[in-house]
Amino acid sequence: MTGRQIVLARLGLLALVLAAWEALPRLEIVNPRLFPPLGEVLRVLAEILARADVQAGVAVTAGEVAVAFGLAVPLGALIGVAVAENDYLGRVFKPLFFFVFSVPKSIFLPMFILVFGIGFSQKVAFGIFSALFIVIMSATAAVESVRAEHVLVARSCGATRWQILTRVYMPSMLPILLETLRISMIFTLTGVILAEMYASRTGVGSLIGNWGENFMMRQLFAGVLLLALIAILINESVRLLEARCSTWRT
Amino acid sequence: MQHLAHVMPLDGHAAAAAIEVTDLDHVYANHDAEVAALADISFLVEAGRFVVIVGPSGCGKSTLLMILAGLRHATGGTVRCDGEPIARPDPHRVGVVFQEASLFPWLTALDNIEFPLVLRHVPREDRRRRALTMLELVGLAGFGEKYPHELSGGMKQRVSIARGLVQDPPVLLMDEPFAALDEQTRMTMGHELLRIWDETRKTILFVTHSLTEAVYLADEVLVMSARPGRIVDRIDITLARPRSYEMMATETFGRLRDRIWRQIRAAP
Repeated sequence: MTGRQIVLARLGLLALVLAAWEALPRLEIVNPRLFPPLGEVLRVLAEILARADVQAGVAVTAGEVAVAFGLAVPLGALIGVAVAENDYLGRVFKPLFFFVFSVPKSIFLPMFILVFGIGFSQKVAFGIFSALFIVIMSATAAVESVRAEHVLVARSCGATRWQILTRVYMPSMLPILLETLRISMIFTLTGVILAEMYASRTGVGSLIGNWGENFMMRQLFAGVLLLALIAILINESVRLLEARCSTWRT
Repeated sequence: MQHLAHVMPLDGHAAAAAIEVTDLDHVYANHDAEVAALADISFLVEAGRFVVIVGPSGCGKSTLLMILAGLRHATGGTVRCDGEPIARPDPHRVGVVFQEASLFPWLTALDNIEFPLVLRHVPREDRRRRALTMLELVGLAGFGEKYPHELSGGMKQRVSIARGLVQDPPVLLMDEPFAALDEQTRMTMGHELLRIWDETRKTILFVTHSLTEAVYLADEVLVMSARPGRIVDRIDITLARPRSYEMMATETFGRLRDRIWRQIRAAP
């Protein structure tokens, strides 16, 4: 199989899924009240995107995600680097982070509501909490991926500390850092949407939650499609950047 | 231990020495215990000579090289290069070639060679010109744009040698540079290194644990004992130059190799 054939096969698969989505409800093979056809969903999507409350919801969610992401990444990176570079901190904190990392974050959501209420700050706090530990773990891995030999070579060439940081540490860590950005964005988005669906008056998550509870399936599917497209778009753009920066990675 | 008075003519023509090591001791802390890595090491290397250090693994020969490169500070004794002490790494005076995997995988061969020049803010055109000259010297003309993962083990070490030589230091230190290569590549690289040495007339100090490699390459061999590393023998390799593969089958070659082996085995 050549690369081109694979691409064709993928496009074929996508077309098949979309065609099934359109055809099966129309032919009433699946219940169209539960599973509205694609054409309907797209029409409703265009409709709701024009609505002021939906636009406001998207803006609120985007704001929450942006703030949570913007805080979680530097905070997690700082903690991760400290844990990786300092032997004492590493030994004390690593097991703790590892344990918390393995616990599903959703079970803490009720506590966040008690502490932060159901407004903007609660979404941001839970978004940070959802992404923080993966950022810490990845930042630690990134620092540990720097090879001692490379640092030694740079020193033997007379590199200053700053040059070692910018010319050895940064390029060594870049592939993992980009991967971290991508994954932490997914985790932040998941956390924020979950918090919005659980208890909120604003945001895309709350809209989707409402549509689901009120059996508004066409709106629900339109919302799901919208979020899926946004998530895929974010993921793919970082991945593209990643691929460009790590052609050498073996 | 053999008497070494004749090894160290510290008087007389000391000024001509490219490397001068005097009463070097090195002790390092390991889990609260003090380990003596090097003890009482003194030797001279005259400019333009090819000197090989051999010894059992863990004898501190790499540590010695790190100290000579200014990457570590010895706990006692002095190290001089062209009469000046080495306080910190200085690629103008001492170039270093490490084992395999020391190239930066995110840089092309040319950019790897230019790395020491980039650190010193050498202008771009000047950098490129010197790197291309080095690339040609090591026999890799045309491979400049390749990334390390696109090069074979032997080619990577050629790039490392070029990087070590790009600032034109009088002294080149080599820390088991061919240890990770297969035997055939290793032989070829040894031969190539002698050609490069012949063209550049650098002073080379080469660490290895291969006896054959030591005899094949060296003007003289320094034999080190197990930890704490001491120099237990110094052997002049009297084989003619240029060296050839055929020499390895000669009686002289065998006798020299045998002498090194007996010294390593006999050392306490």
